[in-house]
Amino acid sequence: MRVCVLYSGGKDSNLALLKAWEKLEVACLVTLIPESENSYLFHYPNARLVELQSEALGIPLVVDSCPDDEEGGLKALYRVLRRAAEMCGIEGVVTGAIRSTYQASRFQKVCWDLGLWCFNPLWLRDEVSLLREVLSRGFEVVFTRVAGYPLRKSLLGRRLDYEVVGMLESLKQYVNPSGEGGEYETFVLDMPLFKRRIQILEYEVVGVDYDATLIVRRAVLVEK
Amino acid sequence: MILVVSTCRFPLSEEEFVRPIVELIEEKGGSYRVRRYYEEIRFERYSKVIVCGTALRDFDYLNYVENFRGLAEYGGEVLGICAGYQILAVIYGNRLEEVEKIGVRRVEVVESNPLTVEREFYAYFLHVYALREANERLEVLALQGDEIAMFRVSGKDFYGVSFHPEVLNRDIIERFILL
Repeated sequence: MRVCVLYSGGKDSNLALLKAWEKLEVACLVTLIPESENSYLFHYPNARLVELQSEALGIPLVVDSCPDDEEGGLKALYRVLRRAAEMCGIEGVVTGAIRSTYQASRFQKVCWDLGLWCFNPLWLRDEVSLLREVLSRGFEVVFTRVAGYPLRKSLLGRRLDYEVVGMLESLKQYVNPSGEGGEYETFVLDMPLFKRRIQILEYEVVGVDYDATLIVRRAVLVEK
Repeated sequence: MILVVSTCRFPLSEEEFVRPIVELIEEKGGSYRVRRYYEEIRFERYSKVIVCGTALRDFDYLNYVENFRGLAEYGGEVLGICAGYQILAVIYGNRLEEVEKIGVRRVEVVESNPLTVEREFYAYFLHVYALREANERLEVLALQGDEIAMFRVSGKDFYGVSFHPEVLNRDIIERFILL
């Protein structure tokens, strides 16, 4: 079956991509770039860098913009998936949803209405074991956003490693360790399907201590 | 040993509908074996049977309902989740109706039973077929609107749930494992 992967460029959509790649035919990535930071459904920081990731993967990208409000976001999702179906002949959609029934039920409904299968290979995964799998599979992941106490601005730009996983596990009562609630966001610089890895050359951190974003100003693909 | 039956046509769906069940069994210290809906299964080898759900667009298991007829002679406990509910309903002579339901809904318990404690709870639904009416072979245990959300096969410890308890109601599966 030919599928697309809803792709934000973060660790979850990349792990979902890897799992889909192992069992189905991934025809394209689909990304919605929110018009501002207030999207309910999709990641924002550095979203335009997914074009670079698509190039690193050698997988076509179907991209569209997405209004901030819930209704507009859903309409954009219908539109972009219709385009992906027409352009790439997909029959199914793969998402990185983990535990949010809000997010999952909307994806399921859109897919059903469009006649597409919906796959959620990370669904109900224990968040800490998921982070460990990301590391054990050789992903290189960098933090690009923190959005709430106790995660501090100093986390931005730091690589995900076992020490950070331990820290997130210890903060379980304050934050979802996978960041699915928007507590933090990540960007994948390298993973097993990348033919080249991404190197960040210039970046800027904006925001305040517990609410900050790392904006990549310049990045390139380099040999692995 | 608990038999976990996958109703998934595509192995990738098992990550979503089977893995959460087997992880819960492991957490409770239970042992399990996973078999697939298209295989010939000897149910009597297992202490309990859980028939899992599958993707919304996946109906292939309905072509293999005959593989589950052996459950009629089975003396253990059975939990049918979504697709498993549908299979149990069909083998006991009921007719599924088109009922599209996606998302979290409130369930009302109408008959006390060993799997639920509260009179009402919220559950995650993901199906396009369910029962609105049941024949005398099924006892209605819980409703969601006009849909039968939970039933028991009369005279047996066979339970069907039209929702996915692994999402918001893990206690239902835990109680089933401890039955």
